[in-house]
Order: sequence, then C-alpha cells, then structure tokens
Amino acid sequence: MEQLIGELKEHLIEELNLEEITPEDIDSEAPLFRDGLGLDSIDALEIILILEKYYGIKLSNSAEAKPIFYSVKTLAEYIMKNRK
Amino acid sequence: MVGKTEVNIYIGTTSIYTCLGNKFETLAAMNRGRGGLSFNKQFSMFTGSLEVEMMETYTRFESLMIDQLIEVLSRTNIKLSDPSVQLIISTTKGNVELLEEDVDHPSERTFLYTSAELVAARFSASNPPIVISNACISGVSSFVVARELLLSGRFKHAVVVGCDVLSGFITSGFASFKSVSEKPCRPYDAQRDGLSLGEACGAVVLTTDISRAVSPYIRLAGGAITNDANHISAPSRTGDGLFYAIRSAMAEAGLSADDIGFVNSHGTATRYNDEMESKALALSGLNTKPLNSLKGYIGHTLGASGVVETVLAIEQLRQGYIVGTYGFKESDLPHPIAISSGKQKITKACCVKTASGFGGCNAAIVLEGSDSAKLTAENHNILPQKVNVVAKYTLPQSDMAFADYIRAEFKQLGESNLKFYKMSDMSKALYIAVERLLAIEGFSEIEPTRRAIILANRSASIDSDIAHQQIVSQRLPEGPSPAVFVYTLANVSAGEMCIRHKIQGDNTFFIENRDSGLAEDYARLLIARDRADAVICGWCEYLKGKWNVDLKLLKKIFD
Repeated sequence: MEQLIGELKEHLIEELNLEEITPEDIDSEAPLFRDGLGLDSIDALEIILILEKYYGIKLSNSAEAKPIFYSVKTLAEYIMKNRK
Repeated sequence: MVGKTEVNIYIGTTSIYTCLGNKFETLAAMNRGRGGLSFNKQFSMFTGSLEVEMMETYTRFESLMIDQLIEVLSRTNIKLSDPSVQLIISTTKGNVELLEEDVDHPSERTFLYTSAELVAARFSASNPPIVISNACISGVSSFVVARELLLSGRFKHAVVVGCDVLSGFITSGFASFKSVSEKPCRPYDAQRDGLSLGEACGAVVLTTDISRAVSPYIRLAGGAITNDANHISAPSRTGDGLFYAIRSAMAEAGLSADDIGFVNSHGTATRYNDEMESKALALSGLNTKPLNSLKGYIGHTLGASGVVETVLAIEQLRQGYIVGTYGFKESDLPHPIAISSGKQKITKACCVKTASGFGGCNAAIVLEGSDSAKLTAENHNILPQKVNVVAKYTLPQSDMAFADYIRAEFKQLGESNLKFYKMSDMSKALYIAVERLLAIEGFSEIEPTRRAIILANRSASIDSDIAHQQIVSQRLPEGPSPAVFVYTLANVSAGEMCIRHKIQGDNTFFIENRDSGLAEDYARLLIARDRADAVICGWCEYLKGKWNVDLKLLKKIFD
C-alpha cells in the first residue's frame, strides 16, 4: 500500500504537471481537489487516464469518481481493489 | 467616429448546409420534428455529418465555405470586390485534419488565415478577410464584431461565414472530456448525457442599406461578448457571464424581456452547460420565454453553430412559430425554463441567440423582426469616448530555451500559482507579458465587466494542435489528454487571463497573417462606443519555441 501511494504521487506529479511539488509535499489523506493541490475538473479527467494507463481501470465519468478521488489514500485503496 | 450615428443593420441573403440539407430542407425537417444525427463508424459516435462535393484545389472546409458564399452572393448585388464589404470567417479548427498527414511539419493550409485568404481570393475580395476563432462562440462573436465594424461606418456591408468540419482531432478531443453522448444528444432533458458533434456551414449577408435587405426585414439589433473569468472548460456555476452577455445585448437593442418572442440557446446537452444556461436565463428574466436548442437536429457544429443557428432563428422569426427541441422530453434543471418540445407560435418577433464556449466565453445577439415596436433608425446617441494608451509591454526575446526562459520569468514574479505550470506555452508567454503590462499600470479601479481582452495571432493554437495530434496519432488505449486538448483553441489563453485578472467583458481572438493592428483597432472601437473602460490588446504568438507577445493596455479617458 505504501509503495502504491508513493508511485501514485509520482504519477500525479508527472501527469498533472505539478511542478515544484515533491511526493513528500502531498499529504496522502488530504483532499486532492480545491484546497491543497488545487486540482480541478480537467485534472479529474487526467486522473481517469492515469487509472487506465497504469492500472487498467476504466471509469466512465468523473461524477462516479468523486468519493474515489477524495485523496491519494482513497485512490490507492480503489486501485488495490480493482487493478488488473 | 461621430457622436451620433443612425445606422441599422439588416439581414440580407442567408444560406446554410447541415446534415439535414440546405436551409429549406433543414427547416422543413425541423418543422416535421425529424433529426439528422446518425451513428458515425469512423468516429464511433453519433454525429451530424455532411456529404461534400469537393472543389478542385480546395479542401473540404474551403469547398463548403465557397459553396455557401456563392449561394448568398448570387442572390444579392453586394460583392466582396467592393471595398465597402467585409468578409468575416468564423471557425474553430479550419483544416486541422491536414495535421494527420505530417504532424511535425504543419502545412501552410493548416493555418486558418491561409485558408481564409484562398476563399477571399476566390471572390476577388477587396479587403483582407477577418478570421475569428473564439471556440464555440465564434459564430455569434462574428455577428458582434460585424455589428461593431458596421456601426463604426468603416463598411456598409459584411458577409459572415461560419464553418467547421469533423476529424479525429476534434472528435477524440471531445471524447477525452467525456462530454460526448452515447446516443443522439438530448438538450435540457433529464436523461441528457453529453453533446453530439456535427459539421455545417452557413453564410449571412449583413447590410446597412435597407434596399439590399431581405423582406420581411430583420435587424441585428444588439450583441455582446463576455467571459465567466471562472474556469477554462467548466461552465460557470452561477451563469452570471452569460447573463451579462444577454443583458448587454438587450441593452444595445434597447429591448426588455417583454419584447422577446423566443430564445435560441446554445443547449449542448452536457449536464453543466444546460444547467448554467437555465441560471443565466432566470437572471435575465427570460426563463418564461419559449426556448429551443437545435443541437438535437444537427449536432454541435462548433464554429459554424452560431451562424447556422442564427440563420435558422431568422427563419423561425419569419414563419412566426418555433420548432421543438429535438430529444427533449422532461427537464430536471434547477431553474425552470420554458423549453419548447414541439412547434410553438411566438407572439413577439424578437429573438435572443446565445452561445458559450471553452475559455469561459459567452456571446449573445438580439434579432428584431419588422412587426416589433420600433424599426426606426438605430440612434447611437452617445458621446464618443476618448482612448489613452496607458501601458505597453513586449515580451523580450531570449537565447534560452522557452521552458527555461519562462520558468525564470515566472520565478521572478515571486508567486506560487500551481496553475501556471499546467498552461500551454502560449498561455505562459501571455501570462508573463500581462503581469508585466499590468505592473506598469493596473486596472483594479475598473469594474470586471468593463475590462476586455482582444488578441490576435497567426498560428491560432497550432503549437498545442501539434501536441494533441501527436497523442491522437499514437492511438493510446486511454485516449488523448483533455489538459492538452483544451488549449487547441487560441482564445483559451485569453480565457486564462480573464480568470487571472477578473476580465468579464469582451474577449475576442482574431487570426491574421501578420500584426495589422486589428486587435488594437477593435479595442479602440469598444472603448469609443463605451462598451469597455480598459482593454488589454495586441499580438500573442507562440509556435515551436518561438514567441512574439506585444501588448498594450488602453483605457477610456474619464472626464
């Protein structure tokens, strides 16, 4: 789980162009959207791409993804359960 | 510019070509409640696609425009070779499909202006064409710009043509936004799940000479462009940007909600667009007016939509009843609006036409029929406003690679804005230039709806187009990146500035061959006619590591 969280932070930084942010800066349990990293609806769509690209998970829309995308931790938990 | 101008702008000849056919075929199908969307195997989605008879040496996009221009110009004495006639072209992506052939070396024809010049030359146009690429509001924007140019007295007539064709570039981009419906789109319906794309072309002759107008007369009585200053792709949650556009267009027309017979909205059938519109219409007091969206019949035809749907709005005004909203059964909108589900008689011969698009932009125009209260000469009894150039800034050239250069510039600003790094390179260059410009003199004293940004460049967004096409050509299983696709519209860079500096007034992006001063000229018109108090204007070019950003800040001189 810890390894997955670390890897996920790397992917988020790379794919969402979070320059000047290091994995240590991201609190695994803090909300990803609005405050903190200031992610928005385009980032949510990019996270859907990350899930498919690295973990083979398909999500059809960002609405159903809301609770899953709450934090890095909730994302990692979802990946653990659903990865292919 | 004189203090008092008495000018009316009338609709002349019009023509469209949609997936339902020519103007009368399209109108007849709509009157019978028949839609034109069908499943497109190439793009794996429902689209409104055209069969195009190609013309020798012209592309599909250019052939369509030439066809429609021949159609409107053959039925009027107005000629593009006359210096008092201006051609205005509205498109989002022009010949972008040519990028598929050699993505690393975009051919000359992928530049919108090259294409525009070829079309203008076909008709021996006297004036260089004006090209407007303002995302999905381009068509409605073109009428607003045409109106300003005609009121200024520079031209007597304008010919507006709007066109976009579909390609994998466009369809995969919208798919990456998860905004495409799995079925033919259903505007405003509770079951709506996204838009359907379409391709179309339309042309309209506008004239200030009533003897050239087509009877029954319809006036282009008002128009306005605004920005949400909220998000580059998500519709506003308040609807205030679109409300401001409607309010300003109606004020121009001197009309109130009581005078309006119907609203022809954008109505894309995405969850959030339709919701946003319902809020804006409630704010405008138009929520009880019959309303329709035509997207269910012909799809969202992008840069053509504002022109094609305006032509159809004109025909609905003339026939005295409106068509239903194809695909709509039952609404679940937060603010009830009077969505027309079938044919409906209208009692007032005025229409408000709206559009909203990426970059946070909104546009509205008012069409006024001949049996409405006043069809006397429009009386612009305002004192011409004087303009001051209060700041100038040119982004310096550097020997450094762009990425290093712009990062160093951003660091110098000494702020942390995580959004900066997500922007396209053109937006980053503009971001820095605007920060420096406003450091010379700001506009904090100006009310947001009185701030505007008017830009022009040559390449539109070809730098981002290349990045998107490279991803599309890889055919990745997860599909292209929405964060890249969103910047394949030049005006989105202007939209970034609107968010950053709370600019809620006009935001228009022109495409030219070289900086002719058009952006500044238009900015001056906006201030002279008292439509803005401060305008950032100028040239904003970025392509393959080379940049040229040259800006001015104009302000109205307050007495």
